[in-house]
Amino acid sequence: MADVAGLVKKRWRAWLRAVHRDVGYLAVGFTLIYALSGIAMNHIDDWDPNFHASERTIHIAPIPDDATDDAAVARVTAAAGLGKPKDVYRAGDEVRLEYEDGTKVTAIGEHVTVQSRSSRLFFRVACWLHATRGKQAWKYISDVYALLLLYLATSGLFMLKGRLGLRWRGTLLVGLGLAAPLTYIVLSGGPGAPQPDPKLATTDSGFRALPSDDR
Amino acid sequence: MARTVPVSESPDLDRYPELKERWDRRNFIRSAAAGTLCMAVGGTLLRIAADDLTKQARAEKRPDGRPRLPPGQRTLEALRAMGGEEGDGEVRNFRLRVHGAVKSPFEVDYAGLLKLPQVEKVADVHCVTGWSLLGGKWKGVQIATLAEKAGMKGDARFVILEAWHGFTSNVPLSDAMKDTSLVTYRLDGKPFPLQHGAPVRGLVPDLYFWKSAKWITGIKFVRDDEPGYWETRGYHNHADPWKEERYG
Repeated sequence: MADVAGLVKKRWRAWLRAVHRDVGYLAVGFTLIYALSGIAMNHIDDWDPNFHASERTIHIAPIPDDATDDAAVARVTAAAGLGKPKDVYRAGDEVRLEYEDGTKVTAIGEHVTVQSRSSRLFFRVACWLHATRGKQAWKYISDVYALLLLYLATSGLFMLKGRLGLRWRGTLLVGLGLAAPLTYIVLSGGPGAPQPDPKLATTDSGFRALPSDDR
Repeated sequence: MARTVPVSESPDLDRYPELKERWDRRNFIRSAAAGTLCMAVGGTLLRIAADDLTKQARAEKRPDGRPRLPPGQRTLEALRAMGGEEGDGEVRNFRLRVHGAVKSPFEVDYAGLLKLPQVEKVADVHCVTGWSLLGGKWKGVQIATLAEKAGMKGDARFVILEAWHGFTSNVPLSDAMKDTSLVTYRLDGKPFPLQHGAPVRGLVPDLYFWKSAKWITGIKFVRDDEPGYWETRGYHNHADPWKEERYG
């Protein structure tokens, strides 16, 4: 028993590194998916990571209200030039055509709008996995990945000893890594920061509206 | 006598080859950090310099005296697709259920919706992620019209916008009854593409845009508040952009 304890004491860093290495291999696929989709979703207000969407407008002579449904659909179909639609619908001032590939054509007055889109293969799937909303098993699988990351982070602290470990370089870099979010929280005020006054400016009449009490 | 050691920017790698690996790594990290910094600074400057729309909007005021652009927002020229679980987008399958604290709940299909009194309103919308779309012409039916048609009861205080896949957003009645709060099917004369909520979406422009549920399926009037999908996940329950009510 004492031998085992002694062996563990001597070899624990080697074991830590070996497990760290294997967990690292396991995490590669997950990390690619989560990191790339994370960047994609961080910048979702600059681009759509899921689809490449396109839209074009064609001008036609307005379809008379008294045109038959068949005549209206025939005119819009001809204008769109995409062949026979899989479904047609007419309501109010709209004529809508739907195509097998998901392209939608809508005629309103003199404008025919053709809307289509195609998936961005990797990012659509990656973002779908990243946002766990509505996905049953994947939620738990991603929990496991999060635990693996926790292991990688904590085991990484102790893999090397001496100046390359926590004695110098490790402490410095861990400190930097912690300082980045902490500094941001302090500078930004964090989630509980007092909100700015509602920008209810004084108008020319001297009247100043007050914030609504309605919450 | 002390010996003078020549000072050099780089070590003599021929003499000390064991330093080569570490020196290469240090140079790589320096170059990577410098490159990242240049890209970040350059990108930020480019965005700031090119953003005339935002500058212009910041100088404008709304009729109620508030700035046209809420704090922390920048202006875009088109809606951005922000994700979400889409509906099927088919007008043929569209049904809107108006129910809850009403005397006469009803369901209306797309053709029926187009037969209700229509309005076209110019409204600005503000996404919680920081972009705003100004001056869009939104066509649809006012939520107030639906409330009147259904005979909303006097004790209703909130409106729940219901959408595909169980998504909901809660809106105080006072916001939902504004004349720009709509169930809308057209923006600037065009139908919504699927990623923007086709065929019909909600519009509550004076609150952050997540309140304006895409792929809408129902309007429910309730007495007690029912925080919705994002509101129960840390986002603000009210979501007033001028108070920066982004997170709860």
